Amino acid sequence: MSEIDCDEIDIKIIRALQKDARTPFKEIADKCKVSTETIKNRFKIMRKKGIILGTTILIDPKKLERKHIIIIGIQITQPYSAQVINMVNKIPGICVVTRSMGRYDIETVAIQKDIEEIGTTKDMIGDFPQVKNVDIDILVDNPLLCPKNFEFE
Amino acid sequence: MKLDEIDLTILEILKEDARTSFREIARKLGVSPDTISNRYEKLIEQGVIIGSTVVIDPSKIGYSFIARFGINVKPAYSSQVLEKIIKIPSVIMASKLVGSHDLVAISVIKNFQHLCELRDNILEMPYVDKVEVGMWIKTMKLCPHLFII
Repeated sequence: MSEIDCDEIDIKIIRALQKDARTPFKEIADKCKVSTETIKNRFKIMRKKGIILGTTILIDPKKLERKHIIIIGIQITQPYSAQVINMVNKIPGICVVTRSMGRYDIETVAIQKDIEEIGTTKDMIGDFPQVKNVDIDILVDNPLLCPKNFEFE
Repeated sequence: MKLDEIDLTILEILKEDARTSFREIARKLGVSPDTISNRYEKLIEQGVIIGSTVVIDPSKIGYSFIARFGINVKPAYSSQVLEKIIKIPSVIMASKLVGSHDLVAISVIKNFQHLCELRDNILEMPYVDKVEVGMWIKTMKLCPHLFII
């Protein structure tokens, strides 16, 4: 079991920011009964340690031009190919590309404008010589997100 | 839904750092902080911005990798199963799908035993037919503004 470097206050900070990243540090400080400076420092330390990577807004893709989130599973003719990963990374709308173990060798998540663009993307990947098979799953409605399901030991 | 340059810039800046002050955004765009504040409220009202969160590196708090579960369920029971799945601790995203699976669940995983327990948990749910697992190697970062990590 790995040692996690967070105490009560750090966890309270994370929980507060998980709900609303713009929560003022003073508000968190009051709840924790410590100074605002303490909360500011804890936040800075967690950023430095890499526990906190940053803060972000959550956006509804349906309200943007690119609205369809798709998950792509790719099987290739050899277990690993940097070439396929590089190619996929260049496709418009690709969010993340990752190697995978399981049914697929490479998996990727992308946002696309419409069904036509999804079709084009599938073809682009499928046409690549080392690609054996491409499966596409399209997310229906909005994904359910549970940021607070990160458990702390 | 028509978003202009100002809206899009606000979104881009807050995607990188949700705590950026309106004053700073206003300075970048050459408008007043009030304009930014109003646009921000409007983006929330219109449902473009649905929230904000802190992005955590799962590997720093005891997780080893991310697993994607592709789940097939008996027809008409997707919603029921989905509701159960999102309640599982460590599942951070779940959704219905159109394609080769009916549902997807993405979970942070502590170790192989955790993965097996999670897979069993889902397989034992009523109306679940099949569970396929993909273990994502070497990535702990998705698209934070869509999936939290």
